[in-house]
Amino acid sequence: MGAASRRDALLLGVGGGALLLGAAAPPSAGARAVVEVAPGVFVLPGLHEDASPTNGNAIANVGFVVGGASVAVVDPGGSLAHGRRLRRAVEAATPLPVRHVVLTHAHPDHIMGAAAFADLRPEVVGHARLPEALAQRRDGYLRMMEREMGAVATAGSDALPPTRLVEDRLDLDLGGGRALSVAAHGPAHTDADLSLFDAATSTLWLSDLLFVERIPSLDGSLSGWLRELAALRESRSAAARAVPGHGPPSVPWPDAAAPLTRYLEALRDGTRAAIAAGLGIAEAPSRVATVEARSWRLAENYHGRNVSTAYRELEWE
Amino acid sequence: MAVAAHRLARRPLLAGVFGLPLLAPAGGARAQGIEPAEAPRRAERWRDLKAAIFDNRETQPAGDALTLVAPPRALDAAAVPVSLSLSPETAPRARAVHLVIDENPAPLAAVFRAGPAGDLRALSTRVRVDAYTLMHAVAELDDGRLLETAQFVKAAGGCSAPVGTDLRAARERMGRMRLVMPEGPPTGPDRAVPVQVALSHPNLSGLQIDQLSRLSIPAEFVRTLRVLYRGAEVLTVEADISIAENPTFGFAFAGEAGGELRVEAEDSRERRFATAWTLGNSG
Repeated sequence: MGAASRRDALLLGVGGGALLLGAAAPPSAGARAVVEVAPGVFVLPGLHEDASPTNGNAIANVGFVVGGASVAVVDPGGSLAHGRRLRRAVEAATPLPVRHVVLTHAHPDHIMGAAAFADLRPEVVGHARLPEALAQRRDGYLRMMEREMGAVATAGSDALPPTRLVEDRLDLDLGGGRALSVAAHGPAHTDADLSLFDAATSTLWLSDLLFVERIPSLDGSLSGWLRELAALRESRSAAARAVPGHGPPSVPWPDAAAPLTRYLEALRDGTRAAIAAGLGIAEAPSRVATVEARSWRLAENYHGRNVSTAYRELEWE
Repeated sequence: MAVAAHRLARRPLLAGVFGLPLLAPAGGARAQGIEPAEAPRRAERWRDLKAAIFDNRETQPAGDALTLVAPPRALDAAAVPVSLSLSPETAPRARAVHLVIDENPAPLAAVFRAGPAGDLRALSTRVRVDAYTLMHAVAELDDGRLLETAQFVKAAGGCSAPVGTDLRAARERMGRMRLVMPEGPPTGPDRAVPVQVALSHPNLSGLQIDQLSRLSIPAEFVRTLRVLYRGAEVLTVEADISIAENPTFGFAFAGEAGGELRVEAEDSRERRFATAWTLGNSG
């Protein structure tokens, strides 16, 4: 109930925005302002919705970090319009040039706004497995966006091919003594996840390795994700805050990872129990971890698929 | 069957259909969800497929004789569960059940053929679905009649979806088999129970991309899977690239404790896999 009424409130907010902006809702309807979560660390918060003709796929937290000499964009947005909005936010915050665009993984809500930065010829940073993921999925994602948003709102949206791949770790020098430390993870949320750590502000930018409020989507490895979360809690225990891929622009670390961990564990344990009981993959999605799923927004759109994905991974353990 | 399937050029998705209302009745209750603008093209595609697969033989609506169940909106396009069941009157007379996924690159996904020691009354598998598609099941009876039924499934991208695990791990596990009997082993020759067999195999569609070479990975898929009970054939499945990774097939089976259930499979590289279980030990 709580989640539903919050979501209604959000939808009302979108409607109100559209009214203010005129009858034809532009892709920026419901747009939220950029938030400086720590000095030089800016987050443009996403909406807890799926891609639609009115939201321009601005559903993920994206943003940028301003160094002494240049700016690194961390996920360029979910559409050309979203990317352009992010670029305007960069230009409003600093005259420094964008030298890096980091693609934290292959999902369209994070990367299809990259086209808005193409003319700046930034270095495009991605996981070593990202090129393969893009080769396999880019066309399908663009078709999906056209289905969900319409051809007009999708036009011009695209990722940029990575120019610098991260196998393990990489430091991005932003000048003035500020460096972003990029880490490549094993299969977790997807099979090409990056996280970033800004030592200057002790900010851990986790993107979709961390979901808050919005139900996580499992597209990599369930046991891998739990492993990576445990490792991050260990290696980055001193981080002052985290930036989740979905949820508030800044959350306490590691406390904010507790609900995600609880959900993934319930998914794992419930799916294992279903497999042991001989419950089929067609029936399991409506039977596994349904109570745990209820406290997440958009659970009705993603929980079933999470169970199916978990089932296919765990039936062969 | 591969010849028939591959003769049909894949048609590109029509542009400009996005955003149309999805609920108009187009071709009866089972086809619910088809975009109206797409209905004629889908009907034509099925006519072409049918002509190619069944050599221009006539089909009849199956009515209650054959039921195809798949989720109207698939959760996971790379593994869409499908079940096919025959009515009690039809099951003993069915020689084969064909499963066709109209819009897939290789539309004929599987043919289940009954052996002397089994029937086709309750079949299941998991398939890849590449685009919003009609799915058809056609039962072939012993008098040569063909009974057809259909369902529309919304799912997209399954055929080129990445292999679920990394390919090296999948290859190391290749050949391992699972036997699942959720209601326990059969207790006599007249009491059939549901049985599911699965073979660990990447079942590569040839549409996935190798991460190093960026070339597509050659197709490498399970071509046939035979189930035998005490040496007699229960059923044979002829399969193709539309079957999901780790091909999984369900059927109903009656047998007795101590009897041996054996599964033999062969893939497109002519690798052979076999595992046998003694009933009574349901594992």
